[in-house]
Amino acid sequence: MIHLRDVQKSYSRGDQTVLACAVDRLDIESGEQVALIGRSGTGKTTVLHILAGILRPDRGEIDVAGARLDKLGEAARDNHRGRNIGMVYQTFNLLQPFTALENVLMGALFGRGAGGDAKERAAALLEKVGLGDRMHHRPGELSVGQVQRVAICRALINDPQLILMDEPLGNQDKATGGQVLDMMLQIASDNDKTVVMVTHDPGSAERMQRTVDLATLRGDTATSSGATSVETSR
Amino acid sequence: MKLISISLRNLRIRLVATVLTMMSIIVATALYAAILVMAEQTEARYEGSIGGFQAIAGPNGTSELELVLNTIFNVGEASGRIPLEVCEQLRKSRGSRFRRSQVRYAIPQARGDSISRFNFPVVATIDEMFSKFEWKREPLQFAEGGPFEYSWDELVALATGLAAHENGKRAGDEVIPERPLLQKKWKQAVVGARVARSLKLKIGDVVVPVHGKLGEYDTHEHPEAACAIVGILEPTNSPIDSTIYLPIGIHLLIDGHAGGVFINKLGAGQSPVKAESMPVDPMRIALTAVICDPLDHMGSQILRKQFGSHEEAQVAWPQDVVPKFLRQIGNAADALAVIAWLVLLVAAVSITVAIYNTMNERRREIAIMRSLGARRFQILAIITGEATLLSFFGAVLGLVACHSAEYFMQPTVEDLTGVYLDWTLFKVWELWLVLGVSGIGAIAGLAPAVKGSMTQVADNLAQNY
Ligand SMILES: Nc1ncnc2c1ncn2[C@@H]1O[C@H](COP(=O)(O)OP(=O)(O)O)[C@@H](O)[C@H]1O
Ligand SMILES: [Mg+2]
Repeated sequence: MIHLRDVQKSYSRGDQTVLACAVDRLDIESGEQVALIGRSGTGKTTVLHILAGILRPDRGEIDVAGARLDKLGEAARDNHRGRNIGMVYQTFNLLQPFTALENVLMGALFGRGAGGDAKERAAALLEKVGLGDRMHHRPGELSVGQVQRVAICRALINDPQLILMDEPLGNQDKATGGQVLDMMLQIASDNDKTVVMVTHDPGSAERMQRTVDLATLRGDTATSSGATSVETSR
Repeated sequence: MKLISISLRNLRIRLVATVLTMMSIIVATALYAAILVMAEQTEARYEGSIGGFQAIAGPNGTSELELVLNTIFNVGEASGRIPLEVCEQLRKSRGSRFRRSQVRYAIPQARGDSISRFNFPVVATIDEMFSKFEWKREPLQFAEGGPFEYSWDELVALATGLAAHENGKRAGDEVIPERPLLQKKWKQAVVGARVARSLKLKIGDVVVPVHGKLGEYDTHEHPEAACAIVGILEPTNSPIDSTIYLPIGIHLLIDGHAGGVFINKLGAGQSPVKAESMPVDPMRIALTAVICDPLDHMGSQILRKQFGSHEEAQVAWPQDVVPKFLRQIGNAADALAVIAWLVLLVAAVSITVAIYNTMNERRREIAIMRSLGARRFQILAIITGEATLLSFFGAVLGLVACHSAEYFMQPTVEDLTGVYLDWTLFKVWELWLVLGVSGIGAIAGLAPAVKGSMTQVADNLAQNY
């Protein structure tokens, strides 16, 4: 499902170069649920964006959900992301002017299309996460937990093979957040979806099948040739 | 959910900015449409109103255009007076055995009165206006009732009586002939279709002539000359519809203050004061115009020659004057249209600026859509769509504004120009205008749309604080 080889992304600030992330090798199989951990600033979000095709690394091979993203142009990567990848962010990133239902439908609009039965599917998803009576509410009228569930529905609307989550528990209390996460993971495993979740919360990481510490994937300039990824299995 | 619904929502959540920006589009469109409507309806009206008014004899010392505007389109005041003898000459030459006949008809008209409370113009004339005058090759048709009765001979008789009375007075005779009296049978009026409609007049209703125009300094009603309506004309879609016709005898008798109905013919070196005491001739009764119809081309030529050097009168040819006038109006309309285009340009720029200014605050929302899989061109489409929709609604509202203005300004415009604005008239070009303005809006939206589509996705999604 995911194969990264020798990927590196850096930013230049004036004469200074900041290495945002470096991954020698990362392989995640179909159906796996993986936690990606690391201290702040180690490049977790950057890796996630590279997997999503939002960022293009300076070098390296990226094979995600059957597409060589390093070889695709921007529009093709956008298209691939829309159809095959669902994303959930720490701040959930719902669009404020739109209702819960519209936010979910927007995922379909830019993914596999908002025509046909998309509206029914969106409504069914919202029903499933217990938001049947909140479909026409705007994000501002929903609680954090409800917003999180809308974001999850939006990530699922295109029935993607891969779900990428960036610290999806936000700042909510662990109990409710954890419940929603469990629900999400349940849906994912029921449908054989691959999940990659960035987190710095050990509790959340434990819920996943496997944990990858980004620091161990990092091919440092000195040892890049010999570095191997250290993976801890649950 | 479609891209257009995202555009619409974006317009709606910035409602105040949207409405303010739309204002300038509304103004530009309304202005442009109004100019076009005026030019078009003026042209249609002026070209469509000439029928029947082949030639107009009127006083010297005024422009042909003024004569035509006043006589056909009821615009402005009568620009001077001509004596009845001009009309008589025109009529005499008609059908004479030795001289080639010139005109089919020559109908005297006198203006200067109106109808109490309403400023519909009154034209004092004779019955030939309804028997001989041809409106587009046919006599004027009556919707109800019929013509009033007041013949040329009655006019001549009245003029003779008035002159005898005046001459007696001026000569200081012991026995001054009686001033002719207003006869009951003259108190009849024929009204145009729109007069009847807007004043809700029926046959038998009474209208009271006013000397002068309402609101002027020395206007006063003449209740003794109140006329009953005997005929209502069919619509002609010309200023005839807005005209009230009375027998000229009424005009002469109510207008007769201090012998003012006679035009003095001054010899060289004669003072106007002396002229006041000179004998008057019946044929010097004052008219404002004579409407004639030359029999044929030769008739026109003779008329032109005859009046080319006439000392008191001239002949205006609406067929020549009106197109010339329309060309001038066309030029003015073109100049105004340039202004409208400039306003539209400013409006377009204001759209660009207004949307461009929102781009910074919308970077995150654009990045979110991109993260959901939106391609750059879809972002471009959404933002261009906003500008297009805004312009589209602005253009539609602009047309609504234009038509409302036509409705509300109609009386004023007719008074000033003789053009009757029909607000219910919708034209194909209005559709093109809406499309054009929308297109301009789309172009105006391009710059912000390009900026929006260039929004960096990862940076604007970043949760690093
Ligand atoms: N657009 C950018 N320009 C410069 N530096 C960046 C940019 N985005 C990220 N970085 C840097 O790259 C590193 C990794 O960032 P990020 O992936 O957000 O870390 P994490 O998500 O693990 O906290 C950080 O040091 C950050 O400052
Ligand atoms: Mg991060």
